[in-house]
Amino acid sequence: MFNKEGKFEKFKDAETIIGASIKVKGNFNGQGDIVIEGSLEGSLKTVANVFVGEKAKVSANIDASEALIAGEINGNIKIKKYLAIGKTAKINGDVQCGEISIERGASITGQIIVSSEDSKKGENKKEKIELEA
Amino acid sequence: MNAYIYDDFLNKSRYRRAINRVEIRLTDLGLNGKIIRLGAIKNIKDVIQAEIKNGIKNIIAVGNNETVNKVISSMITNKDYGFFQKDVLFSVIPIGGNNSIAHSFGIKKEEEACNILLARRVQQIDIAYAGNNIFLNKAELLSNDAIIEIDDDYHLELKQKTNIKIINVNDDNYLAFKNKIISSDNNLNLVVGGRNQDNTFITSKRIKISGTGELILDETMLVPIPTEIGIIEQKINIIVGKDRSFN
Repeated sequence: MFNKEGKFEKFKDAETIIGASIKVKGNFNGQGDIVIEGSLEGSLKTVANVFVGEKAKVSANIDASEALIAGEINGNIKIKKYLAIGKTAKINGDVQCGEISIERGASITGQIIVSSEDSKKGENKKEKIELEA
Repeated sequence: MNAYIYDDFLNKSRYRRAINRVEIRLTDLGLNGKIIRLGAIKNIKDVIQAEIKNGIKNIIAVGNNETVNKVISSMITNKDYGFFQKDVLFSVIPIGGNNSIAHSFGIKKEEEACNILLARRVQQIDIAYAGNNIFLNKAELLSNDAIIEIDDDYHLELKQKTNIKIINVNDDNYLAFKNKIISSDNNLNLVVGGRNQDNTFITSKRIKISGTGELILDETMLVPIPTEIGIIEQKINIIVGKDRSFN
């Protein structure tokens, strides 16, 4: 998801891309990576990764495996593994994740819980799935 | 075991030379078959049903997008098609204008189509519907106030007038998301914008469109909205060229 310089690689293979001219309302459930450059109201859930672009406005709770936030979010964020918050991000809500990086200039109003257990749980679960397979 | 369905517009004298070229080429390649002229028959469904029952293997539409639509609509609404669908192949020999479906199959000219029929490169694709009509490539939305509901979960509102396509089988080699569209995955692909930077790509099973306006199916047929778009159960096996524009 991230390249060597720690910058986000905006995945070309994202399952869903919401462009800047689009406003989405409702419950968005995905299985693959999601890129949001426009607006979203409701909820956003995926087993994969989420990228919220610089000009994006999201009024929703976000639940994903990994995420990079560069836009505005009004809602709680729950990330199983790694959450990267860019310098242009503006978050109003609680944040829960396994690992975090916050760039200078980012604004967060809310509680931040960084628990490696979340991250490990995710990895353990993945290992179990692999063993079962 | 080939049936060639000639559209009625091919009766015009200006298409005579093209038809002659096709018929000579088909004879040279040993691909002769039964010729059915749509102008002469009233019920195309009954005729195609009879041909499928009689064990026809290849049904080839000779004409344009509209011909393809008429022939495939008749094939899939046929009671016997479900049973025979694995054995029956479809293709098209493009004659005249408005042939984007044939072009997406990698078939650009009528004589090239004959060679492609001989090569028998087969690919299975989904068939999409909008209201009571089917389409293969895309439905383009012409509306300023449409609300697009995706899989009953969420809906899209447009901030500005923009180009919206619901793609089943891609026909645009320059589309940014070309490689993400799979022609037989039972999914529709909604693309906003397309070639420029501000674009949207959403995959879904079912799309409901409300508001006012129209959809253009395969650059041929107009369907008023509100309407629902989805993928039908049956798939179709088509003979394609190597330069087709889809996966």
